[in-house]
Amino acid sequence: METNWAAEHLQTIRTLMERSAVYRRALAPIMLFAGLTGLAAMGLGLCLDINSGRGFCGLWLGSAVVAATGAFLLARRQAIKDHEPFWSPPTRRVAQALLPPLLAGLCLGLLLMVFGHGIELAVSLLWILFYGCALHAAGFFMPRGIKCFGWFFILSACGLFYAFMLHWFDFEVNPHELMGFFFGVLHLTYGAYLYLTEKGKNAV
Amino acid sequence: MNPEPFLQLDRVIHEKGRLAIMSMLAASPELSFTELRDALTMTDGNLTTHIRALQQEGYVAVAKSYRKNRPLTTCSLTPAGRKAFAEYINLLEQIVRQNKAK
Repeated sequence: METNWAAEHLQTIRTLMERSAVYRRALAPIMLFAGLTGLAAMGLGLCLDINSGRGFCGLWLGSAVVAATGAFLLARRQAIKDHEPFWSPPTRRVAQALLPPLLAGLCLGLLLMVFGHGIELAVSLLWILFYGCALHAAGFFMPRGIKCFGWFFILSACGLFYAFMLHWFDFEVNPHELMGFFFGVLHLTYGAYLYLTEKGKNAV
Repeated sequence: MNPEPFLQLDRVIHEKGRLAIMSMLAASPELSFTELRDALTMTDGNLTTHIRALQQEGYVAVAKSYRKNRPLTTCSLTPAGRKAFAEYINLLEQIVRQNKAK
């Protein structure tokens, strides 16, 4: 009999269990919170008439920080409620998948804050694209819908980019409204959908 | 080597395919038939046979429902299945410890 077959069996079991554990924690509240934050940022941008590149980036990066902090606290609260470790393997994998595209978006935003002017629309589309890539990457460790949600962001950003470049629209698009639609309305809609369809499967 | 832990291993779980199914279900509240099939790259027939064997042993519960007018089969571990799986892991760990001590 092989002496290490039991250790190999255990390793296989561990790998399969890690692969099977999908991140599901507090997805609906996180989506709803992100949506509300997006709508509030859009409202602020439109009401205060924030049109400079610096102001635009400051507002939306600030709202991203608020949304990320809220998501962290909501996930942590759910983990405590379920008596589970917060930094579980699925949480770690999702964070690792989200990080590179979001970091790229952050760098782009900071760059525009310092040097950019008048390219808010292009930056909005790139943020939507990066965010879509982040969702798609995280979707490998989350319910399948997240990957589709990411694809929607990616395809919309690419389509709109061409549409704007080729002047398909004969009206002005406000970057705040564009951001508000993608980061506000869509997140609220998806959050509501998750609330209605998920059967309280909030455990990791 | 003391052969006792090896002899105590649950034969139903010890089979490769069934062990994979039990491992995946142990880490998730429930998984659909499709998710299991895709993750384990098993054929429909193979997976059905293994699930049936686990169901007969009382280790796996199978629920059939409809989502968007399409049938949905979901599998989950029963309390007996969870207990048997935990015992199986304990025995494996015991065997590993024995081998290390040799």
